[in-house]
Amino acid sequence: MSAEKKILTNLIVSFIIGLLVGAALGVYLIAPLLAPPPPAAPVELTVFSLWGGAEEENFLKCLKAFEEETGIKVKHVHQTTEGLMVGVPSQFAAGKSVADVIIAPWPAWIRSLAKEGHLMEVTDLIDPTKYPKDYIDLVTVDGKIYAAPFKAWAKPGFWYKKSFFEKHGLKPPKTWDEFLDLLEKLKNIPGIEAPIASGDGVGWPLSDITEAFIINRGSPDLQVKLINGEITFTDPEVRKVFEELTDLIKKGYFSTPDEWTAQIDKLWNEKYGIYFMGNWMTVMPQVKDVNDLGFFPFPEAKGVVAGGDWVIIPKYTEHPEEAKKLLQFLAGPKGQEIMVKQGGFLGTHADVPAEAYKPADKAVVDFIKTVKVVPDLDDAIGGDFQLTFWDQLKLLWVDPGALDSVLETLKDSHLKTLGKE
Amino acid sequence: MRKTPFLFLLPALILLILFVIGPTLFTLYMSFIDWTGKAKGFVGLKNYIEIFSRKSIINLEKPPLSPPPRGALIHNALWILIHVPLSTVLGLVLAVLLRNVKGGTIAKSMIFIGMVTPMVVGGIILRFIYDEHAGIVNAILRTAGLGWIARTWTAYPDTALFSLILGSVWIWTGFCMVVYSAGLETIPDELIEAAKVDGATSFQIFRHIIVPLLKPATIVVVTMSVLWVLKVFDIVYVTTLGGPGGASTVLAFEMYMDAFFRIPANYGTAAAIASLLTLITLGFAVYVIRLMVR
Repeated sequence: MSAEKKILTNLIVSFIIGLLVGAALGVYLIAPLLAPPPPAAPVELTVFSLWGGAEEENFLKCLKAFEEETGIKVKHVHQTTEGLMVGVPSQFAAGKSVADVIIAPWPAWIRSLAKEGHLMEVTDLIDPTKYPKDYIDLVTVDGKIYAAPFKAWAKPGFWYKKSFFEKHGLKPPKTWDEFLDLLEKLKNIPGIEAPIASGDGVGWPLSDITEAFIINRGSPDLQVKLINGEITFTDPEVRKVFEELTDLIKKGYFSTPDEWTAQIDKLWNEKYGIYFMGNWMTVMPQVKDVNDLGFFPFPEAKGVVAGGDWVIIPKYTEHPEEAKKLLQFLAGPKGQEIMVKQGGFLGTHADVPAEAYKPADKAVVDFIKTVKVVPDLDDAIGGDFQLTFWDQLKLLWVDPGALDSVLETLKDSHLKTLGKE
Repeated sequence: MRKTPFLFLLPALILLILFVIGPTLFTLYMSFIDWTGKAKGFVGLKNYIEIFSRKSIINLEKPPLSPPPRGALIHNALWILIHVPLSTVLGLVLAVLLRNVKGGTIAKSMIFIGMVTPMVVGGIILRFIYDEHAGIVNAILRTAGLGWIARTWTAYPDTALFSLILGSVWIWTGFCMVVYSAGLETIPDELIEAAKVDGATSFQIFRHIIVPLLKPATIVVVTMSVLWVLKVFDIVYVTTLGGPGGASTVLAFEMYMDAFFRIPANYGTAAAIASLLTLITLGFAVYVIRLMVR
C-alpha cells in the first residue's frame, strides 16, 4: 500500500470512529433532554437547634405536624452550644449552610450574622405586632427583621426538691432574710455539699444567677443600663450588688461550679438544696419526678430575665421557599401551641391560647406578669464580653477575693464590646 | 533520567502544596489582613501588635513567680518547662524499670492506654479525676490525711494550669516510655554485662551507658513532646475552657476563640496567633534537626 493510500485509509477509519463516538456522545447527552423529566426528589429541610432529650422529642412532634400540613420533610439535627456558635459562622464564611432553618437563642449573634449578610430578611414573613416588641427589636438591623421569635423563656428563680424540703421542715422563702435563713439551715444539713448548686460548662448558669442579683438586689434598670452601656461594672451600684453576691460565696453558700446538668443530678441526690435555673428545668431528664420539683421566685423579686429562641434562614439555603413556610409555621400560633401544650415552653405569638399552658408554665407566665421583664445581659451584648463575663464569674466563684480585678476586667471588656472605650 | 526522581516526588509534592504549604502561606497572608467578620484589607503588623498587647496572650504586669493567669504565651512556656522534662524522665524510668520484668509488657500496655485515648476523652476523665467529691486525686489526699486541701483542682486559678499539665503528663508518658523501650532494645547486652564485670553499679550503668546510648531516642521524645505541648488545645478546651479567669489558656485556645467563638470572628488575629505558633514550632524543629544531624 502506498503512503498516500495508507493516510487516506487512516483518515476514513478515523472519520468513521469519530462519527460513531460523536453519535454515541450525542445520544448520551441529548437523550436525557428529550426524555420526560424524572419526578423531583422530595424536599427535605434540615433544622439546627440546641434542643436535645425531652426538648427535642417535643420539637419533633411540632415538626411532624408541619410535615403533615405541608408535605415537606424536615430533619432535625441537635447542636451543642459550641457547635452552633462555632460551626454555623464557619459554614457561612465559606458561603454554605448545611441547615435550611436554624433556631438560636442569641440575638447579638443573629444581628452580627445579619450585618455580615448571611441571613435572609423575614420582615414580610411575620406580623411583628403579634410579638412582644423587644423580641422583634433585638433581631432588627437597619429597620429590617432577620429572625422570627419562636420560644420565650424566663429565668425566674430557684428550683428545689419538694420531698427534701419537707423532710427537713424547710419552706420556700418570701423575703431576703428568710432566704438567708434558708441558706444557713441548708448549710447545716448533714450530707449537703453546698446550699446552692452552681452550674458550669460554657458559663451561662453563673451569669444567670449573677443577673438575678443585679436585677433583684439592684434593680431591673441597672441591668438595662448595663446592656445599653450607660453604666459599667465599676459603678458603685453594680459593685454593691457584686459585694453582696461575693459575701454569700465567701460564706460557702454556693458550690464549686460544675457541669450544669450534672448539678441537677446532685440536686436530686440531695447534695445541694436549691438551684437557680430557667423554666426549662421542668423538662430536664435529670428531674426524676416533675411533681416533686418545687419552684420559688428570687426573694423580693423586682424583675426577671426573659429571652427567647429565634428562627433564622441562612441566605445559602437551597430550599428558600420551603424554609420560609417552616419559619412561618414555627413562629405562628399553630406551631407554638403544639409546643406549649407539651410543657417547658412559653410562646411568643399573641394568639397562643392561655389555656394551652401546663400549670407549672402558667405559674411562671403569671409570675412574669407581676415583675419587670428585662433582656439577658450577656446574650444582649454578646461578643467578647459574653465570654469574659462567663470566665470571670467562674473566677469569682472560686476566688471571691479577686472581686476588684474581676470588675475591672469586666469593665474593660464591657466597654470594648459596646464600642465605648 | 534525571527528571525521574522528581516525577516520583510529584504526587506527594502536589498534596503537600495543596494541604500543608498552601494553607500555611494563606494563614500567613491572613495575619496581615483586617479580617473581622469579612476580609477588609491589608493592615501590616496590626494584628501582631494587637495580640501582643493583650493580657490574655502575655501578661507582664504580674510578678515573675505569681500564679496564673500570666497569658497564653507564658502558659505555653510553662507547659514546655514542666511537661517535657517530667514526661521524658518518667518515660525513661518506666522503660528501664519495666525492661526484662515479668509482666512488663502488660504494664507498658496499660500505661500506653493514655496515649491512645482521644484527648477529648482524656480531658473529660481529668475533670472527674480532679473533682472535689468524686475524684481519685482528692480520695488519695483524704486517705493520706490531707483532706483539708481537697478541692476541684481545675476550678481554681492557681491550680488549673498545673492540673492540666500533670494530667497531660499522665496521658503522654506512655509515648515516651514506648520510644525509650524501643531505644533500649538497640543497646547490646554485652555492653551492660561488660560493665557489670568491671564492677559498675546499676546507677553507673544507667548514667554512663544507657542514657548516652539513648540520645537519639531522647531527641525524638523531646521534639515530639515540645510539639505536643505547643499545639495543646483539646485538653484545655474540654477541661477548663481556658479558665477560670484565663488561668489555663494557651495559644491554640486563644486562636480558636478568635476565629470561631468571638462575635464577630477575628480571623486576622487568629491567623497571627497561628503564624506565631508555627514560627515557634518551626524554630524549635529546625534546632532539633540540626542537633540530630550533628
